[in-house]
Amino acid sequence: MHVMIINGSPRVKQYSNTDKILEKFTAGMSENGTTFEQYEISDRKQWDKIREAFDKNENILIALPLYVECIPGLLMEFLESLTPKKDDSKIAFILQSGFAEGIQLRCGESYLKMLAGRLGCRYAGTLVKGDNFGIRLLEGAQREKITDPYTEMGREFAVKGDFSSDECRKFTGPEVFPPFVRAVLGLVFMTVAKRSFKKAAASWGCTRPLDYRPYN
Amino acid sequence: MILIVNSTFDDQISKEVSAAALERELDIEVIEAAPLKISHCIGCNHCWLKTPGECSVKDDYEIILKKVIHADQMWVISDTALGFIDHKGKNIFDRILPICTMYLKFKGDQMRHVMRYDKKTDIGLIITGEADRDYLKRWSERAALNFGSRSLGVFNRNEIKEAVSCM
Ligand SMILES: Cc1cc2nc3c(=O)[nH]c(=O)nc-3n(C[C@H](O)[C@H](O)[C@H](O)COP(=O)(O)O)c2cc1C
Repeated sequence: MHVMIINGSPRVKQYSNTDKILEKFTAGMSENGTTFEQYEISDRKQWDKIREAFDKNENILIALPLYVECIPGLLMEFLESLTPKKDDSKIAFILQSGFAEGIQLRCGESYLKMLAGRLGCRYAGTLVKGDNFGIRLLEGAQREKITDPYTEMGREFAVKGDFSSDECRKFTGPEVFPPFVRAVLGLVFMTVAKRSFKKAAASWGCTRPLDYRPYN
Repeated sequence: MILIVNSTFDDQISKEVSAAALERELDIEVIEAAPLKISHCIGCNHCWLKTPGECSVKDDYEIILKKVIHADQMWVISDTALGFIDHKGKNIFDRILPICTMYLKFKGDQMRHVMRYDKKTDIGLIITGEADRDYLKRWSERAALNFGSRSLGVFNRNEIKEAVSCM
């Protein structure tokens, strides 16, 4: 199988969490001979080439970050410029997000199901996973703890050609956290998480409190 | 104040909204966004971690951002594409991120960001052309959750009276 992959993130490749996810995913996917070509929506210079590849390829995978409950505006702009296909092409998606619970991504997932049809393709499922915000802020082993599991999903995808397997569905994790976990996480948000966000901000040269109101 | 952001080039729609709102003596402000320079969100996260509350993309979106934090409602008039609002309409929502802070909390059983300002802005949609309306209703309810507010509904271009009755 040959897969055409589009990174639908508006963030430049170097900083894109989707890119780091795809790195691990494609490593697993390619183990047994599956080949791929990859493009970035964030780079407008590639758009003509991506359109051409979309027309030519039958196995398409769009990986994207959730943006306000659906697809990013920039990806929408690109997709609006495509001519819907009339062949038997398949399209699958990797939908990843910041918030951690599965329920946060379901509205976006529903759109992707509809989108496949609107693009004239068969829907080959969506790999749904939250809790990816940290990828960009972390390095080394901490980052790999988040990204490594995608390698196994790449292997699954290479075998099935879609995301319909139980393993892929389970990959999402809990739809919502049980009350006890929420209580603990609530405390973490007010302490450890707050500190680590402030630290990240300081390392970016931020000199203001993170809840600063510039327009009041 | 009710903010109307027209992301389509058809200013007839916002004129009809204004006229109907005037009849009801509503306090509205209209921004014709289509001729403005409004980029997509580039996902740089500066509005959360580098210049809190300020967008690094210096374009006309700042006009909207400065208004929305005082608005009780924001109605976006949008063209549609691929069953959804088109990219111009979606960019209006993506670029709103500076009104949230990086900080997290649980609201009900789900994670949310802590809002930067006290004002909660409900959102409504007026759409032109064909789209999956049931999906858009669901989407606008989810989107509103992220801004700590409610969805006021999704209306077609020929249902301006109905939309304004929900303002
Ligand atoms: C404008 C914008 C809107 C976002 N909306 C959501 C959202 O609704 N839900 C969510 O869980 N994460 C949301 N996120 C977080 C991203 O999905 C997440 O950080 C993702 O890992 C970014 O991937 P990328 O680096 O490849 O762009 C949003 C991020 C941005 C910049």
